[in-house]
Amino acid sequence: MTEIDFLLKFSPVKEKNVTGGPAGSRASATSGHWSPSLVLPILPYFTFVGLFLLVPTVVLFTKAFRPVTGSTTSAMVEAMSASNRSSFMFSLKLSLYSAILGAIIGFLFALAASRIERPRRLRNLVTGFSGVAANLGGIPLAFAFIASLGAQGLFTRILYHNGIDLYGAGFKIYDFWGIVVVYLYFQIPLMLLVMLPAIDGLRPTWREAAINIGASPFQYWRRVGLPILTPSLLGGTLLLFANAFSAYATAYALSSGGSRLVPVQIRFYLQGNTITGKGNLGYALAAWMVLILLFVMTGYLLLRRRAERWRTA
Amino acid sequence: MNKRRTTWEWPVIIVVGAFFIVPMLAMTRFAMQRVPMSLLGRDTLFSRWTIRGLMNTISDDQFQPAFLLSVRLGIVTVLVVLALLLPTVLWLHLRAVQWKMAAEIVSLLAYVVPPIALVVGVSGAYRDTVPWIVSTNYGLVPLYAILCLPFAYRTLDAGFAALDLHTLVNASRSLGASWQQTFRKVLIPNLWTAILTTSFLAFAVVMGEFAISSLLLKRTLPTYMVEAQGREPQGAMGVALLLLVLTTVLFMVLGRIQKKSPTSSSQEIRITP
Repeated sequence: MTEIDFLLKFSPVKEKNVTGGPAGSRASATSGHWSPSLVLPILPYFTFVGLFLLVPTVVLFTKAFRPVTGSTTSAMVEAMSASNRSSFMFSLKLSLYSAILGAIIGFLFALAASRIERPRRLRNLVTGFSGVAANLGGIPLAFAFIASLGAQGLFTRILYHNGIDLYGAGFKIYDFWGIVVVYLYFQIPLMLLVMLPAIDGLRPTWREAAINIGASPFQYWRRVGLPILTPSLLGGTLLLFANAFSAYATAYALSSGGSRLVPVQIRFYLQGNTITGKGNLGYALAAWMVLILLFVMTGYLLLRRRAERWRTA
Repeated sequence: MNKRRTTWEWPVIIVVGAFFIVPMLAMTRFAMQRVPMSLLGRDTLFSRWTIRGLMNTISDDQFQPAFLLSVRLGIVTVLVVLALLLPTVLWLHLRAVQWKMAAEIVSLLAYVVPPIALVVGVSGAYRDTVPWIVSTNYGLVPLYAILCLPFAYRTLDAGFAALDLHTLVNASRSLGASWQQTFRKVLIPNLWTAILTTSFLAFAVVMGEFAISSLLLKRTLPTYMVEAQGREPQGAMGVALLLLVLTTVLFMVLGRIQKKSPTSSSQEIRITP
């Protein structure tokens, strides 16, 4: 999850004008896709990715489609049966809630940061900080929240002294809502990083044109601003969803390994696979994760392309 | 924009800002102050601050191997990623332009395969045939390199795209420089920002990576922290704080470097004599 903000910059790189030159024109004239002199230098890269990413993924899926010992149905099917389905629902719900909340708060945060003109440095401060916080996560983040919102946390105590008893009300940092709150720590800044460029892309002339023909600020936002931002908003939400869905370390450390998240479940099946004969279930759960992420990230990239339409025009 | 009175903007900034700052303060307090939470009040707020917990953990004989392992893994991963990508991206820009799309899509696949699925797949594929990947510490390096691939590829790709590569290479080669000299004295100095960005990010990723190393039962810094949390909570918290500070400093330095030479806009060409 840490490096995901680089996806923000994803857009097909515009082809640098290949200035021809003797080398360039010769290569394109005489060789097709597969000529050895062309392919040889990039072979190590493709071999490496093939060995350590593609082969493992293929193996993952072949094992996932095999049945569990003592059963005839594929592990992929069994992975969606009762107990595992509930952990999938937990993971999906967690990702969804933290994505939607993160998207809304992150959008408001970005909007606020872009509208405040003074002090000038506020904007730089906010973006700089977001760059760091969006990349946080993992163990230190979990620790920070245990120290502030755990049963003996600083913030819990402050609230308690002011008459709000979080834990008395049933809140636990390792429960559903606890994890959602912790995830917001990296979701909000990530959303800000997605939305700031999009908000900057709203041209003042559009606003002026709308006002000139008699629109109120509210009408401007409803009819012009939000429709233009919608692809970015939806895309950002999907990115946040994927971000939360593949996260593991934070929830693991919050709950000391006892959480119901899918990755924790996978770990359980794999470590016990020789005894239970259910190792294939672990593969199947992981394969389902890949499928869901594939679906979500494709949606993100499509929306991203759609959002870019207004910026290049 | 015309002048407006700001109404809701500041409250949003302040509330969200507080949400970001409070956990850091709480963490610092927990790591450095020896006052139980129940006794913390106005009069004890500044008493008994100490870094003894952190020092205890740092001098713990299990901390140093874990920390050093993470640092070494970080350095080796950076080197592997650069050695793998620099020549590839160069060649993709110089000659094999028709392969760029494929290379980029392949690099993005790592976003679809989460770390947990990656480690499951790798151990399924190689546990019996090439066991060192699963059993040795440095077997983590290829997996970490895959984790870094998407952003490393994008960064270096953008770095190369900002150069007038053909002119640079042709000029250098026609002046009699070998490929090696061209690489070392012409390309690397011009790509310095992209290379540093890639290295810092990759290093930070490796220093914080937990899912893979914990599943393969390796004792890196994050797995050590989780384990030490039960034994010496204050020290573990201190180490986590240290890691956070380290990451933040890395990113701040990075921001400085990027501001100084924005790859996208710098048109001047630097060649070290």
